Amino acid sequence: MADAKQEIAQRLLDELSQCGIKLIASLPDNWVMDVIGAAARDRRFVHVPVNREESAIGLCAGAYMGAMGSAALMGASGFMTVIYAITKINYSYEIPLLLLMTLRGAIGDHHKHHASNGLYLQPVLQAIDMPYQIIERPQEIGMISRVYRQSRTVARPMAVLLSRDLLRGEVRP
Amino acid sequence: MKYLDCFQFLAGRRNGQLVVTSAGNSAQAWWKATHDTEATFYLEASMSLSSMFAAGLAMAQPQLKVWAFVGDGAFCMNPGMLMVERQMDLPNLTHFLVSNRAYGATSNAALPNLQQNDYAAIARGMGLERVFAFDSMAALQQGFDAAVSANAGHTFVVLEVEPFSDAEQRLEQPPFDGPELKYRFGRHLEQLTGSDVFGYRL
Repeated sequence: MADAKQEIAQRLLDELSQCGIKLIASLPDNWVMDVIGAAARDRRFVHVPVNREESAIGLCAGAYMGAMGSAALMGASGFMTVIYAITKINYSYEIPLLLLMTLRGAIGDHHKHHASNGLYLQPVLQAIDMPYQIIERPQEIGMISRVYRQSRTVARPMAVLLSRDLLRGEVRP
Repeated sequence: MKYLDCFQFLAGRRNGQLVVTSAGNSAQAWWKATHDTEATFYLEASMSLSSMFAAGLAMAQPQLKVWAFVGDGAFCMNPGMLMVERQMDLPNLTHFLVSNRAYGATSNAALPNLQQNDYAAIARGMGLERVFAFDSMAALQQGFDAAVSANAGHTFVVLEVEPFSDAEQRLEQPPFDGPELKYRFGRHLEQLTGSDVFGYRL
């Protein structure tokens, strides 16, 4: 399973690189630790571990204004803390953002403390009219590039929600 | 020192730096001092993210110099920003912490622990090496070159200023809608660097 997780992490990073993304700003979630570790080792990217999720939003917005492609990578709980930053910066100034997060609280997540994410993550995304794409299978990873390009086309933030089974390498093509 | 005097001095010593302002008073003061419509990003009401925004910009354009203004109200919300800045260690980023010991944009409401906060000590505690603090115009004028003009690396400067007076609170805000500001700043950067910010050049 470790190899499968790392293979998925590598495929995710390859997809981000294809988009032209150079900066990955991250905060940990156990489900994305392989992605974060691989990003930190991958010389195609500058990986910046940040102190809180809002800092990733600011950092990526500045990188965009400097013509550098970027992605923010975080857990669902982290996303729930950044609603103000996204609506104030990305919405007010029409600055695109690719936000990758875990689909916490979904069926199969056995952590009780993520029950709130199961209840409210997608309703919150919908409440702020933030488009999102759920990716549950390896063959869907190519959607990330489309989301990234669409975010830039419409000058709005968009999210990709990565499922547990995908990130843990427990689904096969 | 007087807030507006301090910013007037900084505007006079600016030498091509891109500038990112924080909410409220720093945007008002910088707008009054410069009326800059292209090379300043007035990041309104980000609640602590102007230096992170500036860090992203500085990382993306390492040949340019970037100044970030952060109010101490914003800083109190996110002092860990300095951990990220220290880790990034961007030589082209100067972070001005504008300390008026108040939430200036919110009627000068008091900050928590306002008398005891030692921002320079906090910065040093997070490993920043080039840390400077100025509490008078004379000190700023005397120390500015060593602190900022030397271009010696990532720099953190505490500016101890008086809160805005009631009359100063009524100074004009930078008169931009967000998208206009984005395009003004981005097109300026494209012209300056040849970079492609928006995916289509004019």
